[in-house]
Amino acid sequence: MGHEGVQMFPSTSLTLGNEARATPLDDLENAVALYQPRVFRFLLATLRDRDAAETLTQETFLRAWSARASFREDCSLATWLIRIALNLARDHTRTGRFRFWKRVSTSAVDVAEVAASVPTHDRSAEAQLIAQQQVAGIWATVANLSARQRSIFLLRFLEEMEIPEIATVTGLPLGTVKSHLYRALAVIRAQHDSPSSAPPRNSAPRSATMRNAATKEIQ
Amino acid sequence: MTPQLTTQPGIADSAPLGETHLTGEQFGELMARSAEAAGPELALAEAHLQVCERCAAELASLREAICLFREASSTYADEELRRRPRWILPERRSFSRSLVPAYWVAAAAMFMTALFPLQVLHRHSAQPAPAGVSSVASSDADRDAQSDEALLEDVNREISASVPTSMQALADPSDDETAVNSETSVATSNQRKD
Repeated sequence: MGHEGVQMFPSTSLTLGNEARATPLDDLENAVALYQPRVFRFLLATLRDRDAAETLTQETFLRAWSARASFREDCSLATWLIRIALNLARDHTRTGRFRFWKRVSTSAVDVAEVAASVPTHDRSAEAQLIAQQQVAGIWATVANLSARQRSIFLLRFLEEMEIPEIATVTGLPLGTVKSHLYRALAVIRAQHDSPSSAPPRNSAPRSATMRNAATKEIQ
Repeated sequence: MTPQLTTQPGIADSAPLGETHLTGEQFGELMARSAEAAGPELALAEAHLQVCERCAAELASLREAICLFREASSTYADEELRRRPRWILPERRSFSRSLVPAYWVAAAAMFMTALFPLQVLHRHSAQPAPAGVSSVASSDADRDAQSDEALLEDVNREISASVPTSMQALADPSDDETAVNSETSVATSNQRKD
């Protein structure tokens, strides 16, 4: 899954004349410049693998381009792209190949690297360390959420999407989206309330215990 | 006290008896609420936050942690993307309006260039040959025809002859020339015997 050299994108302007209706994706360069960082960020946080995230980002734009005639503009282009990315990520994680590569991949995201990316904002060294620990704790906890809870949590708190938008992206009813989001938050909150028992780097947190506690709390 | 707010086991350990806190759902509502979302339940939860420092502090702390998570994830992803090679997108093949006449002129020139050899060929085949050239050509043709006819006549004569030319000597032994030849050959053989 290495990515060396330049990334070629297939020719895009050949069939442009066949489309009767103009779509925002006709200007692919502009669409990529606007939405690539967002799609990549979401896929990176979902898959936690840099190469896989980039591959699927490319695939997202390729699929979007191929199906641009079916984009009815009943939602924003960003929402449509994220929906495609989510479906791709779901398909990708279902395959046995993904599980294999996850085990042997050298491009897996290191929690410490993410935590080190916290902007300092004139914090003291101690406050910065605490902030990094908090980020590492949340990052590790999110990894242990169910796939659906994780997606919805990331869409809400990383992509800052509104609940109805998340319902559009996931194709779930509003109530179901809220329910998954509250459960995810309960797990995150439980981890956040007891930072001393935060999971060690790159290891699974006591997710089962926390999830049970959170579920009981909600019930 | 509001009836919607319930005691939470985790928080109530250190809280005074009878004090109520936000439920998990209310906490989630407050965390995930959108700007335009508002309802009686949310208003109640917000009213609770005004009086309960513990819930307010916990909510603020979790919000800050999630905000840090977002900032760190975004920064990390942006840096990672910057490190990756840029995609090469094909250039759009649209001609500007000013180039359209030039395009047609070039197309016409190419058409004419392709047509020129055909015209030359056509002209060459249709052109009548010069008089001198034609007489020479016709005399050559006549000569060929005459030689062909002579050859054919020879062949016919050979075929129609009763005895082929090569067997002519055997056909008539009384022929003088043949007899002289035979005598000469007999004399030569007698001389060898002597």
